[in-house]
Amino acid sequence: MSKPDDAGSSERQHTAAAESEHPMEWDEAPNNRKPASDRQTISEREEKDDARKIVTGESKYTADYAKHFPDLAAGSVLRSDIAHGRVTEIDASAAEEMEGVYAVVTPDSEEVPDKPYTSSGQPYPEPSPWDLHVLRREVNYVGDPIAAVAAVDGDTADRATRAIEVSYEEEEGVFDTAAATNPDAPQIHDPDNIENHQPGADYERNIESHIEGEIGDVAGAFEAAADSDDRIVTETEWELPYQSHCVPEPHTTIAHRDEDARYHLITSTQVPYHTRRQLSHLFDVPIRDIRVSKPRIGAGFGAKQSMLIEPITIALMEAAGRPVKLETTRREQFYALRSRRPARVRMRSVVTDEGDVEALDLSAVTNSGAYGPHGMTVGSSVGSKPLPLYTHAPNIRFEATAVHTNLPVAGAIRGYGAPQGHFALEGHMDEVAHELDMDPLELRARNRIEEGDIDDASGVLSGGEHTRRIRSCGLGECIDRGKEAIGWDEVEQPDEEHLHRACGVALTAQKSGVAGDELGAAHIKMNEDGSFILQTGAVDIGPGADTAMAQIAGEVLGAPPEDVLVQPSDTDVSPFDYGAYASSTTYVTGQAVKKAAEKARTQLLEFAAKLLDEPPETLEARDGAVHAERTGESVTLEEVGYGSIYGDDERAQVMGEASHSTDESPPPFGAQFVDVTVDDRTGEFEIHDLVYAVDCGVAINPDLVEGQIEGALHMSYELAVSSGYSFDEDGTPETLGFRDYGMPTADDQPPIESIIVETHEPTGPFGAKSVAEIPVNGVPPALSNAIRNAVDVRVSDLPITAEKIEAKLDTADEAAD
Amino acid sequence: MTVEIDLTLNGEERTFEAERSDSLLDVLRKNGYTGAKRGCDTGNCGFCTVTVDGESTMSCIEPVATIDGATVETIESLGSQDDLHPVQSAFVDNAALQCGFCIPGMIMRSRDFLEENPDPDREEIRAALSDNLCRCTGYEKILDAVEDAAERMDGDTAVAADGGQPVDDVSCSGCGCGVNDE
Ligand code: FES
Ligand code: FES
Repeated sequence: MSKPDDAGSSERQHTAAAESEHPMEWDEAPNNRKPASDRQTISEREEKDDARKIVTGESKYTADYAKHFPDLAAGSVLRSDIAHGRVTEIDASAAEEMEGVYAVVTPDSEEVPDKPYTSSGQPYPEPSPWDLHVLRREVNYVGDPIAAVAAVDGDTADRATRAIEVSYEEEEGVFDTAAATNPDAPQIHDPDNIENHQPGADYERNIESHIEGEIGDVAGAFEAAADSDDRIVTETEWELPYQSHCVPEPHTTIAHRDEDARYHLITSTQVPYHTRRQLSHLFDVPIRDIRVSKPRIGAGFGAKQSMLIEPITIALMEAAGRPVKLETTRREQFYALRSRRPARVRMRSVVTDEGDVEALDLSAVTNSGAYGPHGMTVGSSVGSKPLPLYTHAPNIRFEATAVHTNLPVAGAIRGYGAPQGHFALEGHMDEVAHELDMDPLELRARNRIEEGDIDDASGVLSGGEHTRRIRSCGLGECIDRGKEAIGWDEVEQPDEEHLHRACGVALTAQKSGVAGDELGAAHIKMNEDGSFILQTGAVDIGPGADTAMAQIAGEVLGAPPEDVLVQPSDTDVSPFDYGAYASSTTYVTGQAVKKAAEKARTQLLEFAAKLLDEPPETLEARDGAVHAERTGESVTLEEVGYGSIYGDDERAQVMGEASHSTDESPPPFGAQFVDVTVDDRTGEFEIHDLVYAVDCGVAINPDLVEGQIEGALHMSYELAVSSGYSFDEDGTPETLGFRDYGMPTADDQPPIESIIVETHEPTGPFGAKSVAEIPVNGVPPALSNAIRNAVDVRVSDLPITAEKIEAKLDTADEAAD
Repeated sequence: MTVEIDLTLNGEERTFEAERSDSLLDVLRKNGYTGAKRGCDTGNCGFCTVTVDGESTMSCIEPVATIDGATVETIESLGSQDDLHPVQSAFVDNAALQCGFCIPGMIMRSRDFLEENPDPDREEIRAALSDNLCRCTGYEKILDAVEDAAERMDGDTAVAADGGQPVDDVSCSGCGCGVNDE
């Protein structure tokens, strides 16, 4: 850890080692940086490659494959209806005797593996604890799987599941993180049954992990501030509830054995390769005897990074001796699968009265629910993603504790901890601005991250040892353009005295993949007609990754993107990929695609050189042809394709393959603006506009980028105003459907304006960074800030509701009287 | 208990065997009409929307036994990939889709709505689509698409020439699962 001599100094010195380890210059291929006018297929609003089959209903999702399996059985899962306890007896006799029931499996069935695993869908070795069982007797939340049925159809399977009688020995549950860490609280897990390599676990106090790190001397900065009259100390607290992915296609798996008796799964997953490996470990089956195929996916948002139903489906398939389809219900999606974890975050800061941030201290307690997938890694993102916004602060401390309760299991979800951190940090910054009586944008302008910075705040957990260079940052332009679009400087107050209008802002950051822990690979081959088949393990779960990959390949090869056919990922066929998570696909797999296409291009130009009788280095591939600069002649890609395969002398298929892995993970940046009017009599509020300006490097496809912004803003808006589950006092969930939950409809959703600010990220393919997650971070703090500006009350616990605002207004009125 | 149901489905007289407890969505999907999707099975998401006797209907909560004799149109009855219905082409051209799971239902709803109200404003479109959820798009481009479709529908309305049969599947060569045929 590097400690500056003077904790109060406003600039932190970076070591010469950090400077030279992360030079500003990046050894970039000359073709990587193209002015807009030279671009052929990137930066174009290409039609999404599956658009037509989607609008005709021909796009096929897992459940749509059922018709290929004439003897397909339907599965159904029996889940615990108590929050904490032990199953003492499972009487499945009535279910087994029902007509049309093929198999019932329980924790004792030989087809059901009896070893711990994690559902996390992370690379090997998974950082998440191995604390789950496929089916279990010790139950830790309402929703834990106990038994499952395979039957002739879904109705019979459901009836049979309900006919299974379960007796429990109930134990006291704990439903709140503060209560759970009390030494007298019921203990949820026995550490002897768990493999947990995360730091800080203390199962006696229901702590799954605890992590902390510091740069500079935070305690010193607070001490110094206490004695000084030109520094202010601010402390705030923030709270966020559960959020559902509301993934449109419920998790669905079809499992069968192929004609070689290998396990074949068609499944709605974001991580085919991690799923294959995790199944291999769980079932003791060699990796090569498992095939995971990803058809079209009805979106993921992190929900399908978890391996949730594949193991049960395999167990049922083995027990029933026939293919099985398991399709989860919407109720299960809400209470039994995965969610965004609730969090309590405390922020403290020292800021000079000029507005320079001297110390930031962020401390988070997250609620993992009953099990630990992604507990520590999401916890670490609560700080490591937003804190770099103020990386100039010389003293930064961050800690996160992941705590178990007998509530639904938290997992990975778009944003991955960053929304919790941003709500606290960006809400806090506005409180500081109010105390200083400073424009919140001015405060941010003084302190925010910039291009060229060496950022160590993202490495705060390593004590600042891990640093990175910020080679692209368009945050300034995001602020300027967002401010303009929302009308920051010209808010007009409504005529009605009880209505108050104001804008709010929040800055946002994320990453592009997991630094040093990603692998993407790609293979591309040319057909004789000049088209290409591109295989990547990139998992398009809806946003259009396949289309972006075709655009990247097309840009290199001079081919129109519709001539680059991208195959859906399938572990038997596609090159390896870590999967669709952590905003990695465009940045990591996109670079593998670019490299593979470049290798193919070299061969393509050699063949073209022979046809044109010109040296390859003078040729250029564009618009479906190869052009000779000197002679002005050209050959079409089709001529090259036929020539390469049926030519007279040398024959070889034009093919390229490449892998990409990197220690870089450049942050995209963005500025969220909200324009709101609040009624001071009722607390009711109306959002006029959500404006989000993002720097995602070079947008490979602006339509797709806008789609990511708009969709993520919808989720961010929901987190701000209608997230949260309710439970009865026994931990039984009461939020079981879209409407109870309040997922915003077309009528509820405020208008969205998305602004793309172009920068060039030299480490990314054609300058691209990520965009899929970052816009989910900003609405809660920006809305809370806007309301504070409008009516001078702060709602610091989500969701923000009229009742909460009204209650705060009433309290403020009483205090004033 | 099995019952026989007569429907006019996408313009053809069809008879289906169904369980009395089946919903219209169950019957459609079992018989290869998989364009309508199951997102909740409780009438909350609209992914299963089809048109019954001219009205947008959530097929998952429509007991099939009660609609004997009805006229049903599904997404399969609109245009084909090379000859899209104006609502479909408006969705494609406005990039109003991502994962696509909500889209067949959203398009049927939009088509039925625009036939009733050919010249809606944005607020009317928002209200009309509020029974159909979408998790991916924030609705923004869907609203653009429906506005655009309203203009396009002033012209013709393509209907699939094959009477809206589900497209025949070609199995993959590996194991008969058909997984690579999309
Ligand atoms: S599946 Fe019919 S409304 Fe959701
Ligand atoms: S496009 Fe995915 S739910 Fe609408």
